[in-house]
Amino acid sequence: MTDKLHPLVTAAGREMADGKLDRREFLRVATLLGVGAGAAYSMAGLSEPAMAQGAPRKGGTLRLGMRVQDLSSPHTYSWIEATNVARQTVEYLTYTGVDNVTRPGLVEKWEASPDLKSWKISLRRDAKWRKGGRPFNADDAIWNMKRMLDPATGSSTVGLLRAFILENFELDEIDPRTQKKRVSFRLWDSNAFRKIDDFTFEINGKSSFLGIPEAMFHYPAHMLDPAEGGKFGVGSNGTGAFELVELEVGKRAVLTARKDGYWGGGPWLDRIEVIDLGDDSAAQVAALASRQVDMIYQGAIAALPAAERLPHVQVNSVDTAYTAVARVQPVKPFDDKRVRQALRHATDTEAVLKVAHRGLGKPGEHHHVAKVHPEYADVGFMRRDVAKAKALLAEAGYPNGIDTEIACRPQPDWELLAVQTMVEQWKEAGIRVKINVMPSAQYWDVWTKVPFGFTTWAHRPLGVMVLGLAYRSGAAWNESNWSNKEFDALLAEAEGYLDVERRRAVVAKLEQIMLDDGPAVVPLWRALFNYSDKKVKGYRIHPTAYIEFKEVWIEG
Amino acid sequence: MARYLLRQSLNILLTLLAVTFLVFALNELTPGDVARKLLGPYATQEQVDHLFREMGLDRPLLVRYAEYVGNVLRGDLGTSVIYRQPVADVLLDRLGNTLLLAAICFAVIVPLSVALGVLAGMRERSPLDRGISVFASICASIPEFAMGVFMLAIFVVWLGVLPGTSPMRATAEWPVWMQFVLPVAVVTLYDAGYLVSMIRASMVEVMRQPFVRTAVLKGMPFHRVVTRHAMRNALITPFTVILLQLNYLVSGLVVVETLFAYPGFGRMMLEAALAKDIAVVEAGALVAVTVTMLTQLLGDLGYMKLDPRIRI
Repeated sequence: MTDKLHPLVTAAGREMADGKLDRREFLRVATLLGVGAGAAYSMAGLSEPAMAQGAPRKGGTLRLGMRVQDLSSPHTYSWIEATNVARQTVEYLTYTGVDNVTRPGLVEKWEASPDLKSWKISLRRDAKWRKGGRPFNADDAIWNMKRMLDPATGSSTVGLLRAFILENFELDEIDPRTQKKRVSFRLWDSNAFRKIDDFTFEINGKSSFLGIPEAMFHYPAHMLDPAEGGKFGVGSNGTGAFELVELEVGKRAVLTARKDGYWGGGPWLDRIEVIDLGDDSAAQVAALASRQVDMIYQGAIAALPAAERLPHVQVNSVDTAYTAVARVQPVKPFDDKRVRQALRHATDTEAVLKVAHRGLGKPGEHHHVAKVHPEYADVGFMRRDVAKAKALLAEAGYPNGIDTEIACRPQPDWELLAVQTMVEQWKEAGIRVKINVMPSAQYWDVWTKVPFGFTTWAHRPLGVMVLGLAYRSGAAWNESNWSNKEFDALLAEAEGYLDVERRRAVVAKLEQIMLDDGPAVVPLWRALFNYSDKKVKGYRIHPTAYIEFKEVWIEG
Repeated sequence: MARYLLRQSLNILLTLLAVTFLVFALNELTPGDVARKLLGPYATQEQVDHLFREMGLDRPLLVRYAEYVGNVLRGDLGTSVIYRQPVADVLLDRLGNTLLLAAICFAVIVPLSVALGVLAGMRERSPLDRGISVFASICASIPEFAMGVFMLAIFVVWLGVLPGTSPMRATAEWPVWMQFVLPVAVVTLYDAGYLVSMIRASMVEVMRQPFVRTAVLKGMPFHRVVTRHAMRNALITPFTVILLQLNYLVSGLVVVETLFAYPGFGRMMLEAALAKDIAVVEAGALVAVTVTMLTQLLGDLGYMKLDPRIRI
């Protein structure tokens, strides 16, 4: 796709040939650096996965059971449900597939400078706005990206790109609460986004960042028509395959296929109806059973057995790095690392997975790096050892065990089930834990403060990303207040390696530290799952729960 | 009478004022931040603070409450944060749906309960009485969500003769009226179970009264004794209870509405409360309290009509 390969691609290719680089990781790196997915797959000696589900059929309506939320401000969406509706109309610049490989979307190709600070983005020329028929151009893309990075917008894209392209500055206002000047942020340089021609522009950051193509697929990064001022609703312009024709928040949304031709081939469906069934999992299964919907956005564990028994329904699932961890803060009795170790030794993660998540997923290994992460290192599976847990407790000065309390949420149902299962297991080792179930809203107020809590962590593509967010000393989301100098130093080292094998070697040490000294019990890695009618074809569940309907069709 | 009505109206207004203030204050005390909720977990604290100020949430509680009451008095219920629509629009739509469901349920529940309660109570300890009483007790003791799931399992999953959810939109297979069957059935069974027991108990007591014995002894046919003499007296006590069901049917259907994905008032209130959408919660509270107070008023007036000895 690019004329010359990025030096890192050549280096990565050599490493792969030497057997040092995992093919999957090569694919990810090569595509991020601008090599087309097809070319990257063939360089890696793999064939690009194709969906062999027969020839698509044009026509028909698909009904999706999912919450129907307010859609008015795409750049500030905070829920996947909202983007799953808007995405059909307002597209992204790139698309990260189910295989973790990022492919072009509205962007045709990208090239990164050797230091990964400057990115040249070329747009495809055949993507047209539905209204007006004007091609999607560089001005449109730059307008959207600048708007997302404007503090007045309030987009979560800021968190992703802050270190790369934004700088802080002080406002003249005084914050009455802190008595200090308020701080805001702005683009670090006037050339941060530079238009080259109508279909080409440059993104210039102040630091290296490999994840630009993936950031362009961040869920609020929809490309809106600048003429509409950042708003979205019925009839809104878009480059996508569908048009939003009806929206009633809390009830339903209707999309119809674009008639003037869509750049990406398809769409096959004539119409998509999104029906709000609320949060009750029984209602979801009931709607599927009476064929009032053809697909459910996401399944709940409690209703899974019922859904599995419906003969016309298929359960789709994908392994993710989505989890929840029981983590402790360094206060008595957990200030002693032997007590933290005892907690891990007393846990049977395979049993927790079976009971709490019906075996869907993978058992946890107590370090927060999952098998789906490219740099995962196998440091051995920790089996349950109650005698060892007891011995460690006695050594730490608690021969009669300990009494404590864990805070958790009642929803989603598997979280509470996981806690209950672990509490039963811990009891045998003399760790007697009371469960304090609090409403989600209340839990999110105290999640970084409770001494012992069970917190959900979303899927992130890289292991080092989550380690940096959750376990680095002093990080905003370091909920366990854990601090380990050696860990911090190794983590910084690992983050600096693009080469996955070198990163893996360091990650193995990080995992060991987490097993020895860490604050967490990681019981399981969830598989994400949902349901669809067997007549729905061309659909694959995505680890981020994004749904793309342009490739989906209904079998006649 | 006029004085009574005036006093009651004043009473309603005061209660409404007290309830709106309590709801406002409670919403303030419960954890969670509406700005954080709207912006999502990845927004920075500055962005959350910004929205917080923009929404005027940094002003004192009493100031915001006074402003709210002023707006309501001018007929402005505010704008919903989650539905992004004027509260009045959301409320009317959802309330309309719930009133429809409630009306159908009420129209089924009342005649059914009166008929079964009178039949059971007119001959105490007869096989008919035993049968009806056991059935009523079973219905009243199964919670709505359990009853709903049983019904779903039988009629939707197993037999496949009814739709499993009620989004109130006709589809090729399921007309709207069929979507009412299961919600109405669940509410009716649950609620009628209780009412039947109440009416039966009252009927049993009336049937033991001397005037009933007199009527029977002087040779009046039994069905006339029941319909002419016993029923009217037996319905005085349950009358208030029946009216109280209106409350339940308007603001208590949240379980059934959630289970059957019915876009009603109860589900709206639940979602608004969870999202701290205060304008919707307040408006919903206003409606719920008004309904309660009005049914009480209606109950008093009806009582007077049924029992001439009562004067207000």
